[in-house]
Amino acid sequence: MLRCFLALSLVAILLPAQASAQRSKKKDQDFIKTAPVVGDSLPVVEVHTPDGKPFSTSELRGHYTVLVFGCLT
Amino acid sequence: LRNVSGLEAVHRDYAPLGVKIYFVYKSLAHPELEGDYIQPFTLEERLAHARQAEQQLGASIPWLVDPMDNRLKHALGDRPNSEYVIDPQGVIVRKRPWSNPETLRSDLEELVGPVAKTTRPEDVDLPVQPPLPAAAEKGVTQRVMRAGMFALRAAPQIDKKGPPFFAKLRAEADLNLIDEGHGRMYLGFHLDPFHGAHWNNLTKPLRFRLEAPPEVKLSQSSWEAPQLSAAKDSDPREFLIEVKQWPADAAVRLVVDYFACTDEVCHTVRQAYTLRRERDKDAGAARSAGFRGLTPQQMFAKLMEGDKNGDGQLVPEELDSIMRPRFTDHDSSQDGVLDREEIQEMARQLARPLQP
Repeated sequence: MLRCFLALSLVAILLPAQASAQRSKKKDQDFIKTAPVVGDSLPVVEVHTPDGKPFSTSELRGHYTVLVFGCLT
Repeated sequence: LRNVSGLEAVHRDYAPLGVKIYFVYKSLAHPELEGDYIQPFTLEERLAHARQAEQQLGASIPWLVDPMDNRLKHALGDRPNSEYVIDPQGVIVRKRPWSNPETLRSDLEELVGPVAKTTRPEDVDLPVQPPLPAAAEKGVTQRVMRAGMFALRAAPQIDKKGPPFFAKLRAEADLNLIDEGHGRMYLGFHLDPFHGAHWNNLTKPLRFRLEAPPEVKLSQSSWEAPQLSAAKDSDPREFLIEVKQWPADAAVRLVVDYFACTDEVCHTVRQAYTLRRERDKDAGAARSAGFRGLTPQQMFAKLMEGDKNGDGQLVPEELDSIMRPRFTDHDSSQDGVLDREEIQEMARQLARPLQP
């Protein structure tokens, strides 16, 4: 128990983003329950490649795909 | 974006097995952090952000870019760093609110199979690049504090033939203004490092006016930035405005005039925005942005302003709504109060530059 607590404290100090994730646990749980959920099809959305070419998420077939959201900040 | 090395390690191991990993470039989660990046206004600018992210992070994972209406972010749950695994039929098989390379690796081991040799994140030597520099010195002016404020809708009026938005408006308001129609509004004109311009303080300072219908009541209608003694700088031009009355359906037009300069040339710029008394939930949170110009001593003094009972300590209720969630992180002794030492440490952490 103590070890678990210490590990958590360490995470809170070292990784503020993880700590904020702990705080917004409900938001995270809501996210999991919000459509599209596991088992749903990936919505078809028209996006771009960095050189500006159009790219449709419908092209993401025939292989496993991982999408990770991010930005410069 | 965190854990880039971890994700790159998974990418290197699973790309040969046909797994395609993409980063999705979305609206900024925390504008003004990590290199003074601010929200892009046009798709071209967002594409430039994504290309900068490729360079800066040094990862070989390709990027996709969400259009300016943030449609993919909206379609997939509006989170800053979420992660989805999609099977070859296009069906979502994993979904998590925060990307986690270790968990992703175990997912792929289960779905695709284990790899012969696992690349460890510490073995991934990413050719990272520094963030884009500001065109001139920063920290010349005192920044405006805007804790407890949220982004307002401020639509730039984009003229495709006109100059770029060298300086971009960031509009924020406190909850009194957003909810009740009277309160404080923050207007900050931030130079976009992608356009390489600075302020030339030998020219006329930035000025702007607000054009509002009569039912909107402001203390004044035009403002001008102070004339600075430094010849040039890249600090934002920031204003705190008291709004006495702003009915929910009234739009306010802002017209700004400024000179955006490089060392060779100054551009005379007039640009306009339409402001609405509405939260912009895609604009991100410029968390602690206003603290960067402060020294730890100034930050300490700022925090101690909340010490209502004057006992030299702070309880959560004495912190503002932006600081309050950080309380437990800083209460090292876990006794429910921040003592002098803990407040000093908090001030030191908040005041330090956030750039790597």
